[in-house]
Amino acid sequence: MNAITVKGLTKKYKDVKAVDDLSFTVGEGELFAFLGENGAGKSTTINILSTILEKTEGDVKIFDHVLGKDDDEIRNKIGIVFQGSVLDYELTVRENLFTRGAYYGLDKKKIMKRLEPFMERFELNEIMNRKYMNLSGGQRRRVDIIRALLNKPRILFLDEPTTGLDPKSRKIVWDYIDYLRREKNLTIFLTTHYMEETKDADNVVILDKGKLLVHDTPSNLKSRYANSRLVWYTAKSPESDKILGEFEFTYDSDHYNAKFDKNITEFLYAHRDIITDYEVIKGSMDDVFLNLTGRTMEEK
Amino acid sequence: MKKTMALIRRNLLIYFKNRQSVFFSLLTSILVFGLYLLFLKGNYVSALNDVVDHNPGLKGLITDGDINAFSNMIMLVGVLGSALITVPFHCLSTAVNDRERKIDYDISATPIKRWQIVVSYFASAAISSIIMTGVILSLGLIVLKAMGGLYLSATGIAAAYGVIVLGSVSGTAFFMPIILLYKDGSSLGAFFGIISAVSGFVIGAYIPLSEFSESIRNVCGLFPGAHITSLLRVSLVGDVLDKMDTQIAGLDGGMFVSAIKSVFPFETYAFGRDFDAKLMVIYVVGVIALCIALMIPIYAKNYKRK
Repeated sequence: MNAITVKGLTKKYKDVKAVDDLSFTVGEGELFAFLGENGAGKSTTINILSTILEKTEGDVKIFDHVLGKDDDEIRNKIGIVFQGSVLDYELTVRENLFTRGAYYGLDKKKIMKRLEPFMERFELNEIMNRKYMNLSGGQRRRVDIIRALLNKPRILFLDEPTTGLDPKSRKIVWDYIDYLRREKNLTIFLTTHYMEETKDADNVVILDKGKLLVHDTPSNLKSRYANSRLVWYTAKSPESDKILGEFEFTYDSDHYNAKFDKNITEFLYAHRDIITDYEVIKGSMDDVFLNLTGRTMEEK
Repeated sequence: MKKTMALIRRNLLIYFKNRQSVFFSLLTSILVFGLYLLFLKGNYVSALNDVVDHNPGLKGLITDGDINAFSNMIMLVGVLGSALITVPFHCLSTAVNDRERKIDYDISATPIKRWQIVVSYFASAAISSIIMTGVILSLGLIVLKAMGGLYLSATGIAAAYGVIVLGSVSGTAFFMPIILLYKDGSSLGAFFGIISAVSGFVIGAYIPLSEFSESIRNVCGLFPGAHITSLLRVSLVGDVLDKMDTQIAGLDGGMFVSAIKSVFPFETYAFGRDFDAKLMVIYVVGVIALCIALMIPIYAKNYKRK
């Protein structure tokens, strides 16, 4: 069963189309990555799917529930980690989580039970009585994720969840997201600026100005849109230049850097006596994004 | 109901756990209290002593204790009257902060209905105001009793608590439609500065409204806060004036108390006429109904999914 089915989703603000005729599906238990520059329509899409914003056109189903008709059922099945903190700075972590849990009709006992798995894994027990405003960025994000999981959602929307986090906190967050996918079969809908975070995604969508550019697996995208590179460690010479002549290449201090758009194995086999010290670097999601949009994520 | 209660509890926690917020919401009241200690009480006491000195018949009948008790109650009315304006306003700023920080998105993505969000802002602001002004009134009465200068009947006390409830609800209702015009905390803060400065004058806490021209009194009389302050005066000051009147025993034909009431009015001047206590209650209830009627379409539009 699909966790999310989107057909022809459009969101207009007066004459501006923030989201333009999007169609895609997300399978249950998938890690689905949504990429695009700021203003590409990622957050707008998440806000529509999570019942916060009204769609202008299109059909959306969350499992069997139709958006616009079964919104309460949808709200009970989703959790969202927003881009910014949406918990109350003045309140302690405990107060924040208990008030948010009560929004779903949960009593204190049930909330406490739901928090138990996080006590050790997210070191929640150490920060329960601390004010949210006094937590570090990483601790806040962890609490945001716990808050999003309070209602035991089947879909977790993560809107740039690791932006601004230190590497340790990012690792903790990702380890836990992996655990949720593996053990709880949670569907993860992710938007991120860190392209490497999409490498384990089951499917990736790249948006540009509200429109869907591509929808495929990371490996297919890399095969189609990213060039592998050959790094050949050798002294620069006219002979070597000639060998690489058919490719786009540069020379940096002690090695050639050549971009490949065809089968590299055949080329290396043909020149096995000359090219002996080398490495092959596969194309990255950054390359995919660059080739599709003509810009890197950093240039957004 | 459980979900609405959770929202109300959250809003109350936000207000009461932020000491700065509590302090600023009471700033006007603190100012009134400070001014009273600095010179207002002195002014009132010397003015009343002058009246007694110029009317030898009143000597011995009106004691320094009576004049002190009266002045203290006027101060308490001013402190309460301004708190009943600034506390609900400050508590309602949570709604603006929630919009600014997109906390309302988080709430909207839960099974909570839009109307529950609006009701929770209203209820929590009114409850905060009832709690804060209730505490101020209780502490004020305890301190004045301990000082030995409290002339107040049980009916007067009960009426004062009743006025506090009415004032809290009307203050909240009055500001609810206004607060929605603000999208960010800084512009709301600037507006709160104006409210803080003006409220003390509108309710006659700094200078009795009787000192102002008829047109200014008419404008002040439009605000429910001015009526609530007059109602507080009726509840809290009425008994001490009755006591003085009883002590004078009709020797001045009620002139002394009438003169005081003309300076510190027990009625509110609005729409070119004096409103007595009953009319003031009706007017305030009417303002509440009007504001709620205004609020419903505004909030329905604002909290509708866009």
